[in-house]
Formats: sequence, C-alpha cells, structure tokens
Amino acid sequence: MSDGDFLTVSDVSKWYGDEQVLHDVSFEMDRGDVTVLIGPSGSGKSTMLRCVNRLAEAQEGSIRLDGEEVLSPDLDVDDLRREVGMVFQGFNLFAHLTALNNVALGPRRVLGLSEADARERAEDQLDRVGLADQLDSYPAELSGGQQQRVGIARALAMEPKLMLFDEPTSALDPELIGEVLEVMHGLVDEGMTMLVVTHEMSFAREVADEVVFLDEGHVVERGPPDQLFERPEKERTGRFLERIASHD
Amino acid sequence: MSVSGTLALVAAESLDPAAQAVTGTRPAGIAPAFIGEAADWEFVLRNADYLGVGALLTIGLTIASILLGFLVGFPAGAIEVYGDGYLKRAVSVAGVVLRGTPIVVILIVMYFVVGVPQINLGVASVSSAVTAGILGLGLRSAAYQSQIFRAALSSVDAGQLEAGRSIGLSRFEAVRYVVVPQALRRSIPGFQNEFTIVLKDTSIVFAIGLAELLTRGYDLFSEQTTAVLEVILFISAIYFVLTFTTNRALDRLGSYYAIPEGESA
Repeated sequence: MSDGDFLTVSDVSKWYGDEQVLHDVSFEMDRGDVTVLIGPSGSGKSTMLRCVNRLAEAQEGSIRLDGEEVLSPDLDVDDLRREVGMVFQGFNLFAHLTALNNVALGPRRVLGLSEADARERAEDQLDRVGLADQLDSYPAELSGGQQQRVGIARALAMEPKLMLFDEPTSALDPELIGEVLEVMHGLVDEGMTMLVVTHEMSFAREVADEVVFLDEGHVVERGPPDQLFERPEKERTGRFLERIASHD
Repeated sequence: MSVSGTLALVAAESLDPAAQAVTGTRPAGIAPAFIGEAADWEFVLRNADYLGVGALLTIGLTIASILLGFLVGFPAGAIEVYGDGYLKRAVSVAGVVLRGTPIVVILIVMYFVVGVPQINLGVASVSSAVTAGILGLGLRSAAYQSQIFRAALSSVDAGQLEAGRSIGLSRFEAVRYVVVPQALRRSIPGFQNEFTIVLKDTSIVFAIGLAELLTRGYDLFSEQTTAVLEVILFISAIYFVLTFTTNRALDRLGSYYAIPEGESA
C-alpha cells in the first residue's frame, strides 16, 4: 500500500447543478503507482479523473499533486496540465494534423522546443508506441488502436509525471484493445505513475497497485486487486464484478 | 423622405455617366433586340472599355469588402463562440442589425448619414462614395461572415479543444492551433457563397452614385434599347467568369488543405 505522498485526493465532492456526482472521494498514490478506478457508468470515475487535471472542477475537497494543491484558485492550470498527461476515450487527436504533428504540437507550442527538437521528440515517442512508420498519417487514416497509441504518445511527449487514462480502450473494437494495453503495460514497466479509468479488469488485476471501486460518486471499496477482486468486502462491489464478469 | 423616394433620387443621379456612352446608329426603341445582330454586338464592343471600368470598380469593391468582412467577421464569429458578457452581446446585436437591414439602407446611411471622408493614399485617392461603399458592403459581409465562422468554429468537436487544453495549451492557443485550422477548412463552402453574394451586391452602390458594372450596363442599354439583351449577356458573362474562377480557386484551396490529404497547419 502507498503512503500517498505523490497524489493525495481527499474528500473531493462535485456537483453538476443540484446533482452531486462525487461524494467525499479519497485515495492516495505514490510515485510509480498504478491506480485503477472502476465502477458502473455514471459512477463518477471519469469525472474524478478529470478533476485531477482540472478539466472538471471539484467544488470541495483537496487534491495534492507532488506537494501542490491542484484545486487552489491560484494554480496555473496550464502549468498543471503540462505535467499531467491525459488519454481520452475518444482519442481526440487533432484531426488536421499528422501523427507526428499531433505529438509535436505540445513540445513545440507549450514547452517551446525548436521545430527540429519537437519533431525529434515526437518521432521518439511515436517509436515508443510502435508507430514509427506512421509519422505522416492523419488520424482519419489510422485504425482506432493506432489513433489511441498516438494519443498516448502525444501525452508522453510532454514528459508528464502523472498519466491519466480515461477509458482508453472503451471505444475500440475488441481486436484493437490488445495493442493499446500492450503500450500501457510497457509504461507500467517503465515506472510511470498512472491513474486509469477502465473496464479492462484483467489489466487492473495484472498491474494495479490499488483498485478503487466507485458507485454513484462514492468510494465503496478500495484495495489491492487480488483482495478487491477475490474477496470484496462490500456486497455492491461483488455484484458489480459479477456483472462485469458475465459480459467478458 | 421615404427610403424609396431617396432611392429614386440617387438612382436618377447615377444615370449621368450614360452621357459618356457611345450611342448606336439605329433609332432607339424601334428594332427588337435580337441576339446576334451585328450592330448591337458592335455597340457592346465599342463600349467595352466603358463596361471595363465598371468591372474594375466591381472587382475592387468586392475584394475590399470581402477583405474587410473577413478581418471584422472572423473575430466577430470567434467572439460569438468563445466570448462572453457585454462584448459578445454587442457583437451579436451589431450582427443582427447589419443582417436585418437592407444593403441599400446601409449604403445610404454610410454615405449620407455617417458621411465617410475621401481617403488619400498618396498615389490615388478613394472617393468618399467608394469608401462608403466598401464600408457598407464590408460591414454587411462581416455580419454574414461572422455566422459562417461561428458555425464552423462550433462544428469542431469539443474534444479537440479539450485535448489541446490537456497538453497545456492556453484556451487561446488551443483555439488558435487546434480549432481555427479545422474551422477555416469547414468555412470554405460558406465563404464561396458569401463571395458570390458580395460580388453581385456591389451593383447596389448605384444608390450612392457609383457606376459599377451593372449600373454602366443599365446606362448603356438605356441609350440603345435595341441592345438590352446583348449588354445584359455581356455583363452577365463577366459576372459569371468572376464567380466561376474564384469559386474554382476556393475549391482548389479546399482540396489542397483537405484532411487527411492536406498539409498540416
């Protein structure tokens, strides 16, 4: 278990209008940890993830990342996002840019690298996700799995200290999921700190240090994967896992 | 005075340049206007330079108005999508007013009410009527172009802006590097329409005494009524060539920048 000195989420609550979507959510991560958020759709797991890089605004609680309060109104969100990579369910690749330029845009415009340096970095990152041969392809010319790998490379090119994955394989055809999970496994092996929302229970089981089960905005239960998957303490967790298993 | 009264007055004044037209030999109003009668085509050709000057004014007004329309309309469209508060409200009210006012009224207001001055550019001076024409047509075009760009900007998936923000681009940068390049591509068809409309609406500057292509054509066939069809066909051909070539050029631009074959921004 972690001491939680790298990412500490404490009592985070969020409302959309009158509807409370997160209720006092808390969990912690160490540097190099992989935490997987699971739960039924509408449970608030994606919203929780998005609060970490402020794509969604939590109204209450605290999120400390590497000693800094993420929810502070004084925080420069662009500085925060520079250090926190995000991979989207729908890829969200820049449609008008080649794979190379999708990855190079951040280093070029945010980090201020020269065009040549940004290009080199983008090439390295695309090579890292196995797409060295697709540098000049546009998103529409790539398969879903390839697009998502470009999405990962785009986030990695910023050299983030934390990577957020928002259901990275949910929009993929089953035969394309493997290539994306493979890249994610590679990142785990390299020691990347990763917060992952996914329905891929096998991935969670294999690589997670901690699994957090959310339902209706509450943390129902959390713990190491073997404990949570094999001996869930709460009935709701068990029911959810059974439902998931019956679909696999 | 009613608007139509004003119109009739200025329209009458604008007919003056007709005096310069070379009159044909046949008595006006007797022979029917058949296409292909040598004398009438000859009449058109003899006055080609007179029409040519009108065509140049038409082209000049169109380019200047489209340009002004873009320079004002693009930011206006962006403000309607991304702005808020008074600025956004002011922009959208100005747009509604400009789109809701007949172009003749806009031109008359610019010329007679606002009273735009003559502009000296050193080598040449632009008459106050031309300036008023450009301002009127340009601002009206800005109001329409703002809607073209508003629609194009809004049509870009929200995930694009979000992805841009997620790598640390500021809102402005994400719009600038991610949304705008895609929106501009999508605005080309609407822009083609707008160009065609402005080109043909330049003829309405007759209301402030300017004789562009269509007004000069009108002057000509008022002189020689047997040549009505010939003159109309001739100036229509000029409009057609202008419209066709620019639309083709914009098509080319569109396919050059098309995604995914196009180049990156």
